[in-house]
Amino acid sequence: METFRTVLDVLSVFVLPSIIVGFPLYGLLKKVPVYEEFVEGAKEGFNVAVMIIPYLVAILFAIGMFRASGALDFLIDGLRPVLGWAGIPPEVLPMMIIRPLTGSGSAAIVLDMIQQFGEDSLLVKMAATMFGSTETTFYVIAVYFGAVNVKKTRHAVPAGLTADVFAMIFAVYVVRWLFG
Amino acid sequence: MLNYIWAGLIIFSLVFAMVHDLRDLSRDTYRNGEPLPVTLRFPEGYDPSARRVPVSVAIDPETYGAFYGVETRPAASYDGVLLQTRDGRQLRFARDASVPEPLATVREVTSRRDHDLRGAVGALSFRSDSLAAAAVTFPPVRFVKMNAIAAAALDFADTAVTLALGLIGTLALWMGLLRIAEKSGMLFSLVRVTQPLLRPLFPGIPKNHPAFAMIVLNLTANMLGLGNAATPLGIKAMEELQTLNPKKDTATNEMVMLLAMNTASVQIVPPVLLVAIMGLQINQLFFSILIVTFFSLLVAIGTTKALGRMKRFRETDPNRDEA
Repeated sequence: METFRTVLDVLSVFVLPSIIVGFPLYGLLKKVPVYEEFVEGAKEGFNVAVMIIPYLVAILFAIGMFRASGALDFLIDGLRPVLGWAGIPPEVLPMMIIRPLTGSGSAAIVLDMIQQFGEDSLLVKMAATMFGSTETTFYVIAVYFGAVNVKKTRHAVPAGLTADVFAMIFAVYVVRWLFG
Repeated sequence: MLNYIWAGLIIFSLVFAMVHDLRDLSRDTYRNGEPLPVTLRFPEGYDPSARRVPVSVAIDPETYGAFYGVETRPAASYDGVLLQTRDGRQLRFARDASVPEPLATVREVTSRRDHDLRGAVGALSFRSDSLAAAAVTFPPVRFVKMNAIAAAALDFADTAVTLALGLIGTLALWMGLLRIAEKSGMLFSLVRVTQPLLRPLFPGIPKNHPAFAMIVLNLTANMLGLGNAATPLGIKAMEELQTLNPKKDTATNEMVMLLAMNTASVQIVPPVLLVAIMGLQINQLFFSILIVTFFSLLVAIGTTKALGRMKRFRETDPNRDEA
């Protein structure tokens, strides 16, 4: 287990450098004008970044307002009985609600919970597992669909959120099973 | 769907902010206009003609609790200055003094730029040369949440632009590298190796299409916790899928699948940010995250396939006519 971890750690350190060096090197061997092609491709980066701005603004300002309004406290109070029934501790509820909305916000929650319950607590392990297992779904939707100007996202939101909800519930049970 | 969620977020924030503010008003949470009794200690003595006198403010915890009707209690004393202004005496707490709620909110709202809590001070009744009892009236606070949501909307609009522009560098780097990989034929080999695995999930992508390569690179970067690399690769994959899309403003089933697999990606290495937060503890979580993401990936794939078959989403499928 420990060696497996070490191998993975080392591997993940080498992935980026080997791609950044490997791609141009391979291109050179295949007689591709690497510098010219790189610049040609990189031009696109700017356009894509500018293209996603309206989508990101739309999503983020709505989420920002929602967080600032204190609506979350109402939501958390309302959902508490449902959670008790499913065996989910109410302390991790803020994490479950914030996670799909903002990445920095949910990171702040993990930090806050570490302060409150200690690094070793089951609650922090649950919250951290939730953080590691899911994505900032709304941000990903804004960026990925924004980049190609797709406005009608069809079942992307329900599919992404269903996966998130399941991941969060799994996280509670798996952490309890492994450490509890 | 996104239309309703988006409008819902905005409308509900207005409703909740209004409920919150009206409750504050009816409960008089901030005791607007009421003076709070405090004890002022003048370490350098009190000079009535001086414009600025340093002062240390003590608030009796019991009085504070009863005055605001809260459980929070103030610290033993706070540093500040007593200012002689044209409108009378003003007490200014030191910048960023850790005052308890609801005073923290009063400071946040009334002294947004300087972060020094201010209040008007009434008559001083001296008990000795350096000790006086006084009453402080803080500026009135109303509609906290209403102001907060308006400020948040503007703030986050800025944040969105900063975020997007912050992506330019990594985007450019990856787009450049990918272009080399494309021209050198590397992506084509990747497509051939991985498409047997991916075709069942993305049936709409024709054989040997470069989209497969981008999807594989994106999912791999995600698995290894390389968020910075995964985003440009995912965008590139989306662009490839868009070339196959007959209706450019609508998502295809393949796009939704890619998105769902991204949000529920298997994490062999946890995301960099979490590693930074958890430090060594991450070693224990690595296994739980792996198990959870494995199952949630299955759920994501299943849900996406199932939803795609629903009548509502089948009718909006850009590829419907051809199918």
